Amino acid sequence: MTNEDVPELWLLISLGNRFRSDDGVGPFLLHRLRQSLDGSAEFLESGGDMVRLLGQWKDRRVCLLDAVLSNGKNVGNLIRANGLLEPLAPSLCNTSCHGFNLAEAVELGRTLQSLPRQLEIFAICAEDFICGHHLSAKVEKAALIAEQQIIALVQADNGGQQCTNNP
Amino acid sequence: MAGNSKTIKVEYLARVEGEGALFIRYDDTEVHEVKLKIFEPPRFFEAFLRGRDYTEAPDITARICGICPVAYQMSALHAMENALDLVVTPELRTLRRLLYCGEWIESHMLHVSMLHAPDFLGYPNAVAMAKDHPEVVRQALEIKKAGNALVRMLGGREVHPINVRVGGFYRAPKSEQMDGLRDQLSTARDLAGQICRWAAKLPFPDNTQEIEYVSLVNPDEYPMNEGRIRSSRGLDISVEDYEKHFREEQVPHSTALHSVLVERGAYLVGPLARFNLNYPRLSPLVRQIADELNFKPPCNNPFKSIVVRCLEVLYAFDEALRIIDNYQPPAQPYLATEPQRASGCAATEAPRGLLYHRYEIDQRGKITHAKIVAPTSQNQKTIEHDLRQMLPKFMHLPESQLQGLCERAIRNYDPCISCSTHFLQLHLQHDQRGCS
Repeated sequence: MTNEDVPELWLLISLGNRFRSDDGVGPFLLHRLRQSLDGSAEFLESGGDMVRLLGQWKDRRVCLLDAVLSNGKNVGNLIRANGLLEPLAPSLCNTSCHGFNLAEAVELGRTLQSLPRQLEIFAICAEDFICGHHLSAKVEKAALIAEQQIIALVQADNGGQQCTNNP
Repeated sequence: MAGNSKTIKVEYLARVEGEGALFIRYDDTEVHEVKLKIFEPPRFFEAFLRGRDYTEAPDITARICGICPVAYQMSALHAMENALDLVVTPELRTLRRLLYCGEWIESHMLHVSMLHAPDFLGYPNAVAMAKDHPEVVRQALEIKKAGNALVRMLGGREVHPINVRVGGFYRAPKSEQMDGLRDQLSTARDLAGQICRWAAKLPFPDNTQEIEYVSLVNPDEYPMNEGRIRSSRGLDISVEDYEKHFREEQVPHSTALHSVLVERGAYLVGPLARFNLNYPRLSPLVRQIADELNFKPPCNNPFKSIVVRCLEVLYAFDEALRIIDNYQPPAQPYLATEPQRASGCAATEAPRGLLYHRYEIDQRGKITHAKIVAPTSQNQKTIEHDLRQMLPKFMHLPESQLQGLCERAIRNYDPCISCSTHFLQLHLQHDQRGCS
């Protein structure tokens, strides 16, 4: 196996503000995944600058972690989407109007050929965005489910789960 | 006799930071009412600062804006140092100038390419523009990326930098960190020159305005961190005298205060003001390109502010490279400070213009009073004035086009509404029982 054949590490990117309760679910997940997948993936806590994402995710395999507020879904629902194939729901795209939203970043990336090779989005429907560090119970539960799915996703590319007899 | 009364309403201004709307009432003969309505909720930053330590002001005020946090940090630092009679070393002063270069690049390029340029080329947004002009957008993003790298290197991170402190920096960069940026900045400077040439060819509406321009002026350099406050109509004061000459007023339709020059009224801060008052202090390269484009001061058309922003980006690269080429790490990253009962003020040049801070602190160093005057609140009255002056020239246009033109005119100023709404005076009137 040559170096060229080795799959490039996944880039896990969290969006959201860790000081805004459920909006911090992205950074919360990233922190847990860093502990489980250290060395098997790269990690980036994004400040939300979508324009900068274009440079960061270009030609990478990217997994985005975010909180959303969705009218049609219940708190704690986990939305998993292929960001390159599926149209992004408006709820996934809310950000400052001075900045860019995620859907625009994907669209601009497509035009400028700055897209990731793969873009998996894990978004959790949140309940509480007030100042604070605590996740709602349903959001935290969903985050743990997302964590397992992301670990499986990353490990599948690294030859599957490690042998548990040799921790 | 007045003609049919008409109104232009823009319920939500797009491609500006923060929440605002526009209301204009006019008829065939004249404009009766112009209101730039800012309904962004007040943010009470001055109140948050009371009781906090003087060392916290730069980090707290940086949170006012994600686009221009460095400006808030710089004004806060200088105001605190002014209060404490502290003068930082030339090396530290230069590093702050370098950090400001990064912010000008980031902020101006975001505005130019993502928010403003589509207006001139008839696109609803940058995504649509990129389909036909991908190279321009790609170049703009490369330029912005270089600005981000500069802020990251000096500030510790790109958004809300964490490495500045009263007296200097927590850590000064090593020479090799500076060296590592040189190539990227140099390449981006070339791109910035191309963007200047591109911007100068955009189709600009004819909209010459008579405005009083206000900016810092420093005898030796294009203004960033300090200088006297001067205007195009003869004002020449020290920053300490700012509040004797400028007054904030509350208006019913805005959560942001309107600033006026006492006895004179509206004025303009920002790139156009800096350019018009400081052209000779731009670097030879920038003046050479401005010459080539036949773009000389005074520039009195707010629509051409996009060209000035591009020239300022080019200047920021030129200045950053000059600083990096001469960089000697400071002996100490910061000078120690001791609190004392004092008051101090400072004004710096945020990307959008003059940003004034004043603080009072007690003997323990706790902030007892804070006043922050953001560029957008200073420009608000001028924006309304501009629309009032501009509209009669374009009244022949269909209403939808007129509305679009008004929105464009507002975006000329790159208003940062979130920045400007951190102050609200609340007047409570308690009527006497039984009184009508």
